[in-house]
Parts: sequence; structure tokens; C-alpha cells
Amino acid sequence: MNIVVCLHAPPPDPDGSGLGRDDTVALAQALTLADPDQHKVTAVLAGTSHESGPLQRALAAGAARAVRLGGEDYASVDFHTLGQALASGIKRIGADLVLTGARSDDEGLGAVPAATARNLGFPFISGVEELAAAGPRALEIVVRGGGRKRRLRVELPAVLAIVAGPRGASLPAGSTANPTEVELMTLADPETTVVRRRTELLGKPEPASRGTEEVKTAAALAAALTRR
Amino acid sequence: MTVYAIVMTDRHVDENVAVQLGRAGADKVLACEGPGLSAPALDVTHGSALYAAVERIPPLLVLFPAGGTGAQLGPGLAARLGGAFAASADLEVGEAATPLADGVGRIFVRRWRGDRSSYRRLDPVELERPVVAVLPSGGAFVEHGTADVEVEVITCVAPAKVGVTELSSEADEFAAAALASTLVIVDPSLGEAAFAKLAAAAPAGVVVVDAAAAAPSIAMSVPRVVVAVGGRAPAIPGTPRSRVGAVLGSSAPRPPRAPADVMLKTAKGASTDTVIDELAASLPALAGGTTEKP
Repeated sequence: MNIVVCLHAPPPDPDGSGLGRDDTVALAQALTLADPDQHKVTAVLAGTSHESGPLQRALAAGAARAVRLGGEDYASVDFHTLGQALASGIKRIGADLVLTGARSDDEGLGAVPAATARNLGFPFISGVEELAAAGPRALEIVVRGGGRKRRLRVELPAVLAIVAGPRGASLPAGSTANPTEVELMTLADPETTVVRRRTELLGKPEPASRGTEEVKTAAALAAALTRR
Repeated sequence: MTVYAIVMTDRHVDENVAVQLGRAGADKVLACEGPGLSAPALDVTHGSALYAAVERIPPLLVLFPAGGTGAQLGPGLAARLGGAFAASADLEVGEAATPLADGVGRIFVRRWRGDRSSYRRLDPVELERPVVAVLPSGGAFVEHGTADVEVEVITCVAPAKVGVTELSSEADEFAAAALASTLVIVDPSLGEAAFAKLAAAAPAGVVVVDAAAAAPSIAMSVPRVVVAVGGRAPAIPGTPRSRVGAVLGSSAPRPPRAPADVMLKTAKGASTDTVIDELAASLPALAGGTTEKP
């Protein structure tokens, strides 16, 4: 089974490992699922060489392969475009299971996994908290929704968006034993031309700029929150 | 503009549900009837039926209520429609008295970033594509329409191969968080007694959750008021109109990973028990604030 984990370079965080929390859980789940003799974990990221830190972290944690999709400026594209680019790369790599962080894109929308699944033609499930192997071509997962916590059996292939559970996840400590380097895959041939969409480009960023009011008591906190 | 309400069900839509939707302001109810559609929504089981219903309209805006359905179905629907998606949003209505220029709309979606650091204002008319958005929780029921509403039934055929089987299902202990108007997120390091005290004092509409245990549900919630208690609150959910408070111990190394509108940093040497007692006593006021500003 080929498992592909889609990663995203989050904003700098002094306490962070270069991976978003949901991405970390997705990668840890992939590495836990994978039997080294039968499964292969590939980490994929669309971005510049300066943003390949999460891929190097994935290699250090035990991923067999790390692929950076280059050739485009992905910083300014919308989720449709990014999903198409990731799907194009994943098709070349080959995947039975695609794991992503549920809210790891720049704006925390959770839409890139859906666009990736759409372009791959794979079923998509969001908000996956736990997963375990259930045979060679199936998984058991846990999702919440509609007031229920459900355990489901999912046939592969599939794209699953992982949300960090109560315990989070920790990756194996960084190792220099993995000699593999991050591969560059360009999507420049006519069959994988990325069609830029315009759904996000017309949105105008505006600062929150509401300021922070400091108070001395809990009653004042409640009053201020009620007043605003 | 016509407001459609979409109901997905595996049996004939309940007349009371249609009446309630009409009173809430729906001009027309589209009832998608098909096997398995009463189950909690997943894109893989409900996505194609929802798309079939939405495609009949076609919409300028598709709005999901809080509660997790939007997080499951919204991204997939936006991907199918080629539209924009806002996981946490609210609406803004333009007040221009004069006729609008071509390509400019009167309704805008303000899409808040996951970390609440900024938002984007999306105009579906200018985009020339629908915007799919998830709205925040709460607000009292306001009657905008009448009980006399037209119901159109759409027969939905189950996807040929879903590939998903339910093995077990139990009540979600954190379901209330997804629907909370006021969400109080408590750092587990404060201890069980502090959590229990706040939970016991929470009135209707105020939900107290453990920051670690309820992390997935917190991530999917869209409350109007958030109070993060303790120094290690997770990324705080919210919308442009959410109000965020933070209660930090004097030794907290840094504020929560989201801007707070109001911050209470306790005085050096202040008793945590006293602060928790005061906060517990203030929770009814927060519930009142939620009701006043739906």
C-alpha cells in the first residue's frame, strides 16, 4: 500500500517543529500504519525550496520518500489550484491512501483535502480522529458529527483529513540515518498544467485591529465580552 | 432573492420541520430523500446528493449552520461547484441606497482565518462563483417567514459504491461544543476541580470543555463568545463577530495562539481558586451577552 501524506509549511512558530499540529498527527498515523515490508510512506508538499522543512522532518521521522512540487508560486493560489497540483503529483507517485491535516492550509479552511480528493476521484472524509488498518485494502476510522461518534470501515483508495485528537501525536526523534533527499517534481508538462482559479484572489485581506482590552477581574471580563 | 432550505433524509420530510424552516425564513424547502441520508453527514455518503440539490438552484451563497455538517460537506461542495469556501464566516449586507454597479453584490461573506488574525471579504457577485460558508452558533430563533412553505422532493439515488460501513456509533460526549454559543476552553493543567466548578456553573448555551480532551470538537466549533482559561489554550475558533476572552495566570509565558479581545491576567500571587470562583459566577452574564447579541 502506498500512503501519501500531504504537508503544508505553516507560519513560523518558535515552539513548532515546522509541521502543523494536524499535519504532525497525519504523518504519525501514516508511519504507524505502514509496515516497512509492504507499505511506503511518501510525504508531499507544494511550495518553494525554502518551505521544504516539513519534508525533511518527515524523512527524519521515517518517511521513505519526500517530494516537493515545484514550478508554480503556490503561495497565492486558491484551494482548487492547490488541490489540482497535489492531485497531479499524487497521481504520478501513486497512492492507495492520502492523509492530510484537516485544517493545515494557510487560512485553516480545510478545503485543500476536498479539492485534492475531487481531482483524484477518491472518496473524501474530513475530521478523522483515529485510524487503524482493517485488512489490506481497508481502514477503520473514528469521526464525529451529528451528535455521534462513529467507527467506520473505509475501503481504499481514499483521502482522509486528520484532526488532532486529545493526545496529539509525536513523531520519532529526528535522525540523520535516512540518507534520502527531498525530490523535486515539477508540474510543467501539458497534461498537468495547473489551471489557476480566481475564487480567492478577489478577496481583500483586512486586519482584525480590534485591540486587546486588559481587565482586572472575571466579572469585568464577562462584562467586556458582553459589551463588545 | 429566494432562500432555499435543504433537508437530507431517508424518509419523507417531517411536516413540522418544513414549517419550522418556513417560519425561520425559507421560501422553499428542497427535501433530498434517499437511503442513508438521515445518518450523520459525510462527503462520501451525502456529497453527491447535496450537489444534485444545489445544482438545481443554482445558488449565490450556500450557508451551513454550526454543528459539524459544514466542515464535512462544505469543502467538498465548494470543490464540486468551483466556488469559494469559508469555514468560519458571517454575512455583511451592503447599505448602498443607490442601485449597484454591474458586478457588485449587496451581500458579502467575511471569511475569518483559522487563527483569527484577519479576514477576507468575499463578494459572490464579483467572484462570479458561489460562496460556501459555515455560520457561527447561537442566537435566538427569529421568525422571518411563515409556516406556509413549498416543499419540493428530490429523490436521491445512493452512490453506486460508497465504500464506507458503519461499525459502531455512540453519543458524542463533546457534541455540545460544536453547537455552543459560548465556549469556555479550560487548560487541563488547572485540574479537575477547576473544570468541574466551571462546568457546574455553566448555564444553557455556555459549554465548558477541556482544551486537550475536546480538541477535535473545539477545532470544528464556531462559537460567538470564547473564553480561554489557562495559558495553553489551543488555537481558538471564532468568526469576525466572535468575542474572545483569555484568563491567564500571572506566570503564563505568553498569550494564547489567537488575539484576545479581552484579557484577564491574574495578579502575581492571586489564588487560582478565587479566579475560577469569580469566573464561574460570571458565566451567566456571558450567556446573557450571547442572547443579547445574536
